[in-house]
Amino acid sequence: MTIKVLGISGSPHRHGNTETLLDSFLEGAKAGGASVEKVILKDLSYSPCRGCNACHKTGECVVKDDAITLFEKILASDCIAVASPIYTMGITAELKGLIDRGQYLWARKFILKTLYFSDDHIKRHKGLFISTAGQNWDHVFDGAFPAITAIFNGTGFEYYDNIIANNMDEYKGIKNHPTALKAAFEKGQKVVAVLEKLNAS
Amino acid sequence: MPIKVLAFAGSPRRHGNSETLLDWVLGGMIADPDVVIEKVALDEANINPCRGCNACEKLNKCIQRDGLDIYHDKIVDADIILLSSPIYCMGIASQPKALIDRAQVFRSRKYVLKLPVVPPERRGKRLGAFLATAGQNWDHVFNAAIPSVKCFYHVIDIRDADISYLMINNVDEKGAIDRHPTARTDADRLGKSLITEIKKRLAG
Repeated sequence: MTIKVLGISGSPHRHGNTETLLDSFLEGAKAGGASVEKVILKDLSYSPCRGCNACHKTGECVVKDDAITLFEKILASDCIAVASPIYTMGITAELKGLIDRGQYLWARKFILKTLYFSDDHIKRHKGLFISTAGQNWDHVFDGAFPAITAIFNGTGFEYYDNIIANNMDEYKGIKNHPTALKAAFEKGQKVVAVLEKLNAS
Repeated sequence: MPIKVLAFAGSPRRHGNSETLLDWVLGGMIADPDVVIEKVALDEANINPCRGCNACEKLNKCIQRDGLDIYHDKIVDADIILLSSPIYCMGIASQPKALIDRAQVFRSRKYVLKLPVVPPERRGKRLGAFLATAGQNWDHVFNAAIPSVKCFYHVIDIRDADISYLMINNVDEKGAIDRHPTARTDADRLGKSLITEIKKRLAG
């Protein structure tokens, strides 16, 4: 079985630093033998979570739009790479809007108990967070991790790794970063190899 | 001179826990005849996410024409700016995140173009408060929200020491905050203390 890798770009800015880093990861995954797809959140049509909690009773979201289709695609993937630049110490509103819409899966897991991911399933589903930040602070990504953890937990993916690069303002873009793009490519190749090995066992 | 209070209710759920907390803070202010309050439900304010185009670094304004056109000027004019949000997936909701990211225009003005955000005589005479509620009972449930909130206030010239926080965890379903032992009293007290403090600042 071919490993399915889904890249989700949460940047409003096409082909910027974060999407370029994601592309490098996806190229690596492709080179490793995976089938690869990239979704651009800003080109989809979905609204933020309304906080209505209707899904707590039904396990379904009352809003039918591209977010639901994307969550189905996520659930059918072996590896997801969720990418967002850091804006004001967090992920973009586009990505946060999507993550919040996963509430219906949370409701299925914890309230209705109709959805369960076994440890084995989680081990075979790897999630990576890909991000860039203009700031050079080491802690600039800290505000993003908890929401990323939330989407991986909600969709049954192990939080496998981060591919993150700060100080973009000084480097004048990811292309001038000494190691990031190559590291992303290698991590793409590697995660596919790891998943293939797990599937063979 | 009236004291201008601008209150952003960040939840998509109207009159839920975080908005109720905000209303209680406003309730502590409203009895003062000098106070003029404007409350905005962000879900209805038509504020799009930031496009990350960085045009504001050159233009000193945002290229998007939407609700922020109105609230940009109100943010500059206000003496006290309140922001409320529920915690969704360990962070603020996407509606207030969009507002905060759109404050990039103030960041560009302040740090790139080196222009004043408020007139020099008003610096240090602005206060902010962040009100949040979370369903989870974890103490750390608010941690990821705070850095973004600080960014918002810093770029609109409200200093770190001038931001107050009232964050209530373990309130989930609509109305749960009504049963919280201290939230209402604390919110009322915060509202009153913000007015006392801003009067001191404005007189000084």
